[in-house]
Amino acid sequence: MNEVAEDVILEARAITKRYPGTLALDAVTMRVYRNQVNVLIGENGAGKSTLMRILAGVETADGGELLLEGELIRIRSPREAASLGISIVHQELSVLPNLDISENVFAGREPVRAAVLLDRPTEDARSARALTSLRKPMQVRTKTAQLSLGCRQIVEVARTLDQGARVLILDEPTSALSSIETDSLFQVIQDLKRSGVTIIYISHRLHELLHLGDWFTVLRSGRIVGHSPRIEVSRNWIVERMSGRAVSETADDRPSLVDAPILLAANEITLGTSGADEASQALLHAVTFTLRRGEILGIYGLLGAGRTELLESLAGARRLLGGSILVNGIQAHISTVSDAVKRGIVLVPEDRQRDGLIPDLSIRENIAIGSMRGIWLSRADQMAHVRRLTKELNIVARDLELPVTSLSGGNQQKVIIARCLMRNPALLLLDEPTRGVDVGAKAEIYTILRRLAAKGIGILFTSSEIEETRALADRALVLCQGRISAEFSRNEITDEALFAAASPVVNTAPIPSSGVQFA
Amino acid sequence: MTTAIHPQNRSDRLAQSSIRTLLFVLRARAVFVLIALLVLFSALAPSFLTTNNLAILSKHVAISAILAIGMTFVVLTGGIDLSVGSLAGLGGMVAGYLLTQGIVLAGVIHYPPVVVVILITLSVCLVVGFLNGWLVAKAGVAPFIATLGTLYIARGAALLMSNGRTFPNLAGQMARGNTGFPHLGQSSMAGVPLPVWIMLSLFGLAWLIAVKTPLGRHVYAVGGNERAARLVGIEVPRVKIFTYLASSLCAALVGLIIASQLEAAHPATGESFELNAIAAVVLGGTSLMGGRGSIPGSLIGAFVIGVLSDGLVMLGVSEFWQMVIKGSVIVLAVAVDQLQSRLQARFLPYLQTQNSEGAE
Repeated sequence: MNEVAEDVILEARAITKRYPGTLALDAVTMRVYRNQVNVLIGENGAGKSTLMRILAGVETADGGELLLEGELIRIRSPREAASLGISIVHQELSVLPNLDISENVFAGREPVRAAVLLDRPTEDARSARALTSLRKPMQVRTKTAQLSLGCRQIVEVARTLDQGARVLILDEPTSALSSIETDSLFQVIQDLKRSGVTIIYISHRLHELLHLGDWFTVLRSGRIVGHSPRIEVSRNWIVERMSGRAVSETADDRPSLVDAPILLAANEITLGTSGADEASQALLHAVTFTLRRGEILGIYGLLGAGRTELLESLAGARRLLGGSILVNGIQAHISTVSDAVKRGIVLVPEDRQRDGLIPDLSIRENIAIGSMRGIWLSRADQMAHVRRLTKELNIVARDLELPVTSLSGGNQQKVIIARCLMRNPALLLLDEPTRGVDVGAKAEIYTILRRLAAKGIGILFTSSEIEETRALADRALVLCQGRISAEFSRNEITDEALFAAASPVVNTAPIPSSGVQFA
Repeated sequence: MTTAIHPQNRSDRLAQSSIRTLLFVLRARAVFVLIALLVLFSALAPSFLTTNNLAILSKHVAISAILAIGMTFVVLTGGIDLSVGSLAGLGGMVAGYLLTQGIVLAGVIHYPPVVVVILITLSVCLVVGFLNGWLVAKAGVAPFIATLGTLYIARGAALLMSNGRTFPNLAGQMARGNTGFPHLGQSSMAGVPLPVWIMLSLFGLAWLIAVKTPLGRHVYAVGGNERAARLVGIEVPRVKIFTYLASSLCAALVGLIIASQLEAAHPATGESFELNAIAAVVLGGTSLMGGRGSIPGSLIGAFVIGVLSDGLVMLGVSEFWQMVIKGSVIVLAVAVDQLQSRLQARFLPYLQTQNSEGAE
């Protein structure tokens, strides 16, 4: 007993965190074992990132306590966390693109000479040393905007190393990396472990976790539902705990759709680089597929595979570089969103906070917003529609005139779906349909989508979750680096098959920017 | 690293070097424009390059350069300070009031000495600058709105101080012990006007802060990615407040210099100065989105604007045309700036390749 207690370097006890409308963490207790890779698993919205942000001082808990080496600690800012030896590499990388590598390594804690002046030589030397120990020597005066994502991540790890991190939190570190970069990151993690750093590793990629992890903690809907060492853990153990029952419930009574008319045919859709944003260099290369009326087609792929880009180009939000789209067998020129809407194609975007909801408007207005036609708004008409849809989609709201932000994530998502249904779509595009939605609402959204499909609406959704793709799709396509790498019918979809098809093949193309060279 | 240069590599490298040259020219465009203007005006107006004219020119430039130096910090964080012109007006009026009306303490009028007048003026403007910073950093008001508000407040306050009248005769009186104020704007050191010295020392200080101190780096960091800056533990509000303080301090100095040059304080002084300062900053290559730019750039930008307006005056170009030309130059400068960023993004892969070569 005593021995075990000594092995725990960091403990979060009964941590509770509330956000408006949701209980993100419900009395979560997690032990972090010294010198081990402590894996934290859970689906999107399970509360993983929230818990880690609390450990890293980015957010404060509403209840509970933190113990480091058995002593009660308070962490109120990232700086305090760092001074205690707890550092985090965030999922969305937080490098400063306009600064160079060593400026990034020392941002916020610059060493000075003569009381006020920056000590560049020390910065450069220590940055170079940290990068070398990560087996990734780079010129420290390179602007980080010029680095690949993998290298930027290494810069962040170098920062935590130089800060003397004892506990390093990696929040979905591989979600944006190529497989070469992922491999070299794993090497770095092993090195760090050997040199005495404790790792907390967050991911929902099972094979990575099973490869790396020593201790496994599973979080679901803000609660711990499993905590075991590696030897007791299997793939099934994780999947069972991660998804609960709700998700694995699949509808087996889906009708055969071989005879249904083809609703959408995409022919060699090609998309160029989006120059504005350095991070999204995803391209689509000659993507070809068809979708039948009433079919639920899933597109599985890792981050950066081009999922969002594909849906956006079908919805008219991006201009195609090449290829054509046929709707009901007729060539459709879709260059704006209203072109798409005219042909009955509507999109439920991935990030509903950013691209979907209008937070200041009421639930009713958010549903009705896309369907206002003519000069005068007929409120009675609108109201009838909205009421019918809220009932149909089971949107739980006390009052439709409340701001949409008063709803839970699941209900907000249903509001967006309702908005799309107001336009009587023929084809519904959903980008990560259950992102940030709790398990119960997830199952409900699946049921809704199946019902819509039964009415003859074509459903095209993307997902980065294998479970979701398996649970929902009649047929699944796998996107990998902008190409369709595989197609599976319902009973062919397995974790291994999807994952293998989604992971880029090593050594097909040189990665120009990574600068990976092991000494 | 063993390098065998493939033909493709060589052409890549060639393309790379010409891209680098192009990007360099675009980045240093303000310098080229300045040189072109100097050549043009000295060719067209023979008296342009005389010492006398250059002294006048440098005094004009000093005013917008000082404002531009302070403004650069604000713009680097992604903010903007519209209040500097009004603040310069208010600063002049505070000084004028203290010099001519004095302070009433316990029924007796005290006339503070010039040094105290200057210190009080600077403090008043710093309070407004702090208000700007607080509104932006703590209250979350958009910089444009916050400083638009203080623009009106400062202008109104300046007008209220004299009921809209001018404070004349700021030379002071021996009897009151407050003489010497005109030196600030009118005297020279080593043949160079004092305002130019002030500009130069501010420039040196600002450059040092921007490049050599943690504070300066934090300014860039906040402008580059505010969220990331917060996550690495940079005190974002503090950095922002600093930038507005710096900007207001520069505005106060400008107000003092103008009042000293004219030996009078007029409440309308400094109208639309903020626009000149912003134009100088933008011409100097500082991005209004924040994170990119430099103090020397702004100084050169201020020179471009100063040379342009003085040169056009000497050529006898009408004031109306001057406005049209100035506006065109500013718009062109920003268009070129956009071109530069787009080229940079486009050629990023080339630049990246070079980096991976450097890693060994």
